[in-house]
This record gives sequence, structure tokens and C-alpha cells, in this order.
Amino acid sequence: MNVMTENKLTERILSGSEAKLVSLAGNASARKNALDEFRRMGVPTKRHEDYKYINPEGLFRLGEFMAKANVVRPVTSHDVEEMTIAPGAAKVVIVNGIFIPELSKLDRLPAGVTVKSIADAVVSDAIAKKYHSTIANDSSDAFIAWNTAMNESGVFIHIAKGATCNIPVHVVHIASNEAASTFHPRNLIVAEVDSSLNVIESFDSIGPVKTLTNVVTEVMVHKGAKLNHYRIQTEGDAAHQMNTTCVVAESGSNYCTYTFSFGGAWVRNNLNISFTQEHTESHLYGLYVTNGNRVVDNHTIVDHAIPNCMSNELYKGVVDGKSTAVFNGKIFVRRDAQKTNAYQTNRNILLSDDATVNTKPQLEIYADDVKCSHGTSTGRLDEDAMFYLRARGVGEASARKMLVRAFAEEVVNNVPDEAIKAYLDNRLNHLMS
Amino acid sequence: MADKNEILEEHISSEYKYGFVTDIDTEFAPKGLNEDIVRFISKKKNEPEWMLEYRLKAFRHWLTMEEPKHWAHLDYPAVNFQDISYYAAPKKKPTVNSMDEVDPELVKTFEKLGISLEEQKRLVGMESKIAVDAVIDSVSVKTTFKEVLAEKGIIFCSFSEAVHEHPELIRQYMGSVVPYTDNYYAALNSAVFSDGSFCYIPKGVRCPMELSTYFRINSSGTGQFERTLIVADEGAYVSYLEGCTAPQRDENQLHAAVVEIVAQKDGEVKYSTVQNWYPGDKNGKGGIYNFVTKRGICAGSNSKISWTQVETGSAITWKYPSVILKGDNSIGEFYSVAVTNNMQQADTGTKMLHIGRNTKSTIISKGISAGKSNNSYRGLVRISKGAKNARNFSQCDSLLMGDKCGAHTFPYIEIHDKSGVVEHEATTSKIGEDQIFYCNQRGIDTEKAIGLIVNGYCKEVLNQLPMEFAVEAQKLLAVSLEGSVG
Repeated sequence: MNVMTENKLTERILSGSEAKLVSLAGNASARKNALDEFRRMGVPTKRHEDYKYINPEGLFRLGEFMAKANVVRPVTSHDVEEMTIAPGAAKVVIVNGIFIPELSKLDRLPAGVTVKSIADAVVSDAIAKKYHSTIANDSSDAFIAWNTAMNESGVFIHIAKGATCNIPVHVVHIASNEAASTFHPRNLIVAEVDSSLNVIESFDSIGPVKTLTNVVTEVMVHKGAKLNHYRIQTEGDAAHQMNTTCVVAESGSNYCTYTFSFGGAWVRNNLNISFTQEHTESHLYGLYVTNGNRVVDNHTIVDHAIPNCMSNELYKGVVDGKSTAVFNGKIFVRRDAQKTNAYQTNRNILLSDDATVNTKPQLEIYADDVKCSHGTSTGRLDEDAMFYLRARGVGEASARKMLVRAFAEEVVNNVPDEAIKAYLDNRLNHLMS
Repeated sequence: MADKNEILEEHISSEYKYGFVTDIDTEFAPKGLNEDIVRFISKKKNEPEWMLEYRLKAFRHWLTMEEPKHWAHLDYPAVNFQDISYYAAPKKKPTVNSMDEVDPELVKTFEKLGISLEEQKRLVGMESKIAVDAVIDSVSVKTTFKEVLAEKGIIFCSFSEAVHEHPELIRQYMGSVVPYTDNYYAALNSAVFSDGSFCYIPKGVRCPMELSTYFRINSSGTGQFERTLIVADEGAYVSYLEGCTAPQRDENQLHAAVVEIVAQKDGEVKYSTVQNWYPGDKNGKGGIYNFVTKRGICAGSNSKISWTQVETGSAITWKYPSVILKGDNSIGEFYSVAVTNNMQQADTGTKMLHIGRNTKSTIISKGISAGKSNNSYRGLVRISKGAKNARNFSQCDSLLMGDKCGAHTFPYIEIHDKSGVVEHEATTSKIGEDQIFYCNQRGIDTEKAIGLIVNGYCKEVLNQLPMEFAVEAQKLLAVSLEGSVG
């Protein structure tokens, strides 16, 4: 019975997608193959271990997000201005999954940094061609396959060997439609040997219409490169997001990722990092603040496939209202990946009796000379700390705010860029007032 | 150097010491599983109609289920359920009254196991007393100390005896914690279980001795399906021990048991297991598939259930002793040492389900992997909505010996109430060279140093075991890890 309805759902989505397929540019056979992969895997249900706590099937049942409609109103440069995170950043604007050059501001980019539409890049750029669809594997997840089949646009960011980009590249994703719909932006970031780059991806929505953004970002970090990758999710209550980021990191590189989930009705982040050469380092930071009926699910995979790499992960959550927060961190240490250091921490504060936290920090280790640990804790606000503040005349509400703020601050403090940090502090103050 | 090699050589060549076969006349059911077999087992045991009905219901449900294969971190060929004999019993009717009537071969078996009934008998009146119920090929053959226990009103007998003599208790409690619909192997067990132990501690009684069950698979081509049911009524206390061994065979044998524990108001049950089923040889040939469902319910307030397990045997271990914390202020504990060597695979852990108010649970799990084995901890802590002030602490440590083994942790934590506090921490490490160097310097050779360090690493769990078991467990740890370093 269940299998029947599940198949029907997949078929319904497929028939909609197939009809649209003919109108899409690019490699038609690659799109077709990806759609076949999607058919093979089907829409994940809560019976899939990786989607146990967040039911994509239910999401599609609510509304299929299949309509193709016009934007509520044209997104203006004023809107984009409002979404500024770091003043002075180069801006790439993607509205409903389509790269809009007119709204983007790329004139300040230094030499050695290339930013262009991915649709053009996969045709004209040798590097984009080389890496496109090689880092995110269609057969590993139905949403990646769906994106490969359906994506229309997105951005390709490339930084040349030894180059340093002194301003962040801000990719502004905006969802704004008049009927429920799905977008499939596809991005590719390639940092060449010894380069240094900061990329901010922000996700916003305009209007009350249900949208699903199924974004896939592939990241290639070459030897000795340094890449700070921020994802700031501040969408409205009608926005749904399926965010997949796949990273391959080479020797001596340092990839740091910062994920801030402050908005959206349904947010799922898949972050997969694999180390393919020795002496690679990666730091993963995440903060989710949820309330209402929101669902935020963070899945991370760090794959230590070779020896002498280091990964460190810190995810924290403040969970209020009737919201649900999910964390699943996987660390794989493959056979012979000796001298691996891998740490993982997940901490949550529950502020409401109706809120739920599901966490699963997972270690799979096949080598013996390693240092791996994980820890997770979930609880209410520290009563002793509360008492301390109350005894000194701080009102209950402010004391609570102060403690929650301090809890969240630990993640924000790890952000190296002062402008982004200031933005986040501001946003947190706003969220918690 | 020569000395060290000699010791290593000796250790590497040491084999499973419980791998003997006892020559007891055994009665088999024909291989295969169908309703007739279920009826055959029930008839053999002269069971009342309601028991047969229960078995048949379970069997029919089992037919609708699928063998679980994909979720656990285990890899093994599918079990052929039609190639197993579901009933094997020693032919000579065992008696419960006199030691002289026990089959001498059986007595020898127990002597080999080191739990001679004769010796146990001589211990009557002495300080260290253990009442033993021995189960061979899933039929209970001998229960000792029955009279002493009966004086206190404690019922400790084989499951089939209890079906006849205490049907009201069995009907009330059987399947109340692990219903036959629970999982594939619980359904199978409910349909074909041949025997097991039943224990009931009446109100306010503190059981004066450790109760113990020894399980042994003896015949080839059989599965062992026993059921244990322990009920501690209001204010009662019992400490229960379980030991398991099996002969060495080239084939894989199936062991699918069900253990149910009920602790009423103020009741306390402490359940300790030393599991040493035959793990298979160095190449992973043979060994027991140990697929066990163990669950307890703290039904009344202030009740407590504590699971302690030392898992060293079995080719594959799949078990999650769990506690449902339903009563207010109830406590659940899980202490585990799981050792895997050679080609063994273990996927074990616990579930702590917090439902009542002010409930507490502690999970201490120590995994040791050596050889080419894989050892996983899989646990669930769930704080239900309304489970006010629930508290959990979990610690899962893994020790890796050698670079071909694996240690994995899969902790599921689900929190639906803001007053709950849950902490989980896990570490993975190997034995430090500095620790070994320290021991070597003081004249302790490497092999012994490892034994010392491992015992220290497991101390938190071993301390929970009753004294007799703790000694056995320490020896077992040393034996299981022999030859894993060098």
C-alpha cells in the first residue's frame, strides 16, 4: 500500500519533470540519465534512514511545487541591497534558481576571480566542464539527481592559482513566485592551488507563496587553498529548502563552513566533505534557531578516506515553539586513514515543551591510530546560571535572553570576518527580542 | 624475545575452550518451520490450548514479516529458516528432585562448564549461593535450590513448568513487554520457543541468592529459542545471571531468545549476562547468530532495572537490552562490555524510553575491537512529551586493537520535553604506546599489559557484575583478546 503511493508520488513528480525536460538547455542525455536515477531511488520517505526525522514525502504531499509561474513582482536592486550581509562584497543574484546578471555586482572583483553563470560555464569553461557533476554524485541522493536533471542556472566561481580575493563573493538566492514551485540552482566553486576565498550564500524569500529550493553546490578545494564558505538561511515561513553541498578537499587545504539556519518552514542541509589527500583540515560550524512549526535538519558527513587529516565540528541549536531540530553528523574513518583527528559536538537548548530535538552523532571507524570523539547534550537553560542572574536583579526574560544569546555566541565567535559577525549578531538580537 | 614469542604463540593457538559436544540422546523435531511444527512443539510440551493459540498467532504474524537485513551494521548471508530444527531436547526426562537421576553425561557437561551442580549443592547454607536453571538446546534440564526459594514464596522454574503451574502469572505477563508483533525474531521466538526460565519474586521479598540460568546449544542443526520472564512484584529485589556457551561447529547456529522483565512499584531487577557463544574460527567459519530481544519495564514508581552484559562470543550479536521507564522516579541502567575479535560482528546497545516523571537512565558502553571484527554501539534515548525532569547520561567508548577492525557508534537521541537533560559522549582510541611502555618497564610483558589495560578500561562495567561473574568475565576478556596484538 505504502509502496504504491510512494511510487505514484515519484511518478507524478517525474511526469511533471519529464514534460519540462525538453525545454531545458544543456546536455539532454545527462539530464535524462539523472532523471532515471531519480526514478530508481524515488522520493525519500521517513523509512529511509537518512530522512527518518524529516519526511520529504510529506512535503510533496502538501504541495507539489511543480507549477511554473511568474515572479510576484520583479526583484529590485533595492531588495538585493536589503539582503546585504557584508558591505563591499561582490554580489551574485539568483532569483528562482536563475542567475540575474543585471542585479549582480561583480565589478569590484580582483583579477584572478571569475564569476559567471554555470549554464554558460559548462559549455565554455574547461575547468567548469571538468568538475561539474563529478563532486555531487547523482546516484547517492534523489535530490542531487533531480537537481542535475532539472537545473537551469546557478553560478560558477573560480579563483586562480595563488590569488587572494580580498572581498567576499556573496551569492544571493531569492525565492519569489506567485504559485508554488520548485527551483534547482546548481553552483560550482573551484579554488585553485594556494588561493584564498570567502563565499557567502544567503537564502531569502519574498512573498507568502510556497517554494522549494533544491540547491546543489559542488566545491573543489585544491592544494593549500583556503576557503571560508558561509550559508545563511533567512527565508520566510513559506519557503522550503533542500540544500546539498559536496566538497572535495586536497592536501594542505583548509575548508571552513558556517551554516546559520534562522528561517524557512522546512530546511534540510546535507553537507558532505571528503578528504582525498593527506594533511587536509576542515572546520564545520552550525547554528540553528527555530520556532513556530519549523523543521531544520542538518546532516553532515566527513569522510576521512586518507591518513593525517583533521576535522572539527560544532553545531548548536536553540529550539522553541513547536519546531523540530535534527542533527546527524557522520564521521567515517576509512581503513588505513591513520593519524586522523576528528571531533564533533552538538549542543541543543530546548525552550518549549512542544519542541523536539533528534540528534544522532555517528562515528564509523576502521583504523586504530586515530583520535575521534563526539559529544552531544540537550537540555534546558542552566538553572544555576538563571538563579545567579535573577539574584543580581536581572529580570527573568532578560536573563533568559542573555543565556540563550551566550549559548549561540560560541558559534558566531568562530566567524573570522568581522562584517559577517556583526550581521549575525544583529540578526540574533532581532530573532531573540 | 624468545619468551615473548612463546607466549604469543601459545595465545594465538588457544581456542574456544567450551567447544565440546556432549553425547546426550536428543530428540529432534524435523527440520523446517510450519504450523505443524508449532503444534508439534506445543504438543510435546503438553501445553494448554491458550498457549498454542498464542504460538499460532505469533507464527502467522511472523509469516507476514520480512527478515530485517539492512539497518544494522552487520553483514551475513540470509538465514534459511527451513533448514533449522526448532526443537531438540535431551531424551531422558530430567528430574528436579534428586541429583542421582540426572544423566551423568549432563553432569559432566556442567563440570566442564565449571558450574557443577554437585558443587552448587554443597554450597547450600554457605555465603555464596547461586540457584541455577540450566537450559540445554532450549529445554530446561535442572533447576537447583527450588525448595529453599519456595520457602520465601519465590517461584523459579522452567518456563514450561510455569505454564502448567502458574498459568495466571504467565498469561498476565508473557508478551506484555515484548509482544510477538515486536520484531521478526521476537515473533519467531513466540511461535517456537521451547523453554526457558520463569522467575517471580512476591511482594516485599528480597531474593536471598543470585538466580542463574546457563544456556547451552548442544545439538547441531538446531536453533535455540528460549524465553525468560522475570517479575519483581512491589518492593521485591532479585539479581539474575545468565551464561551462554556452545560447541564448536562449522555451521552457523541461530539463537533467538526473548527476555522480559517487569518491575512493579519499588521493585528492582539486576540482570547480568556473560555471553560466550561460540564465535566461529579465525576465518569466520561457524559461530552463533545471536539475535536476542531483551526488554524490561519499570511499571511502578521508584522501580529499577539494571542490565549488565559482557559480550565476548557469537559470530554475530544483535541485541539491545532496553528499559521502558514508565513509573515515576524509575531508573534504568545499561552497562556493557562488547569484545569482538577475528571475524566477529556485534551491533549492540540499548534503548531507554523515558515516559514517567523524574526518570533517570545511565548508559556505559565499552567496545573493544580486534582482528578483522566490527563492533557497533547503537542506542536510543527517547524523552517522551510529559516525561518531566528526565535525565540521561551516556558514555560510549571504543578501543581499537589493530588496523583491520572497526568501531562504530550510532546513538539516536530524541527529546520531546524541555525539562529533559541528555548527555552523550563517545571516544575512540587505541592502547597508548606509553601505557604499554610503562608496564614493560616494570617487568610486565606486552600481552599481560594489554590484559591489564583492557580490564582497567572495562572496570566501570565489570564492577557492576556479581563477584562470581566478575572473575569469569575478566578471564573471558583476556581469552577473547589473545593473539590480537603482536
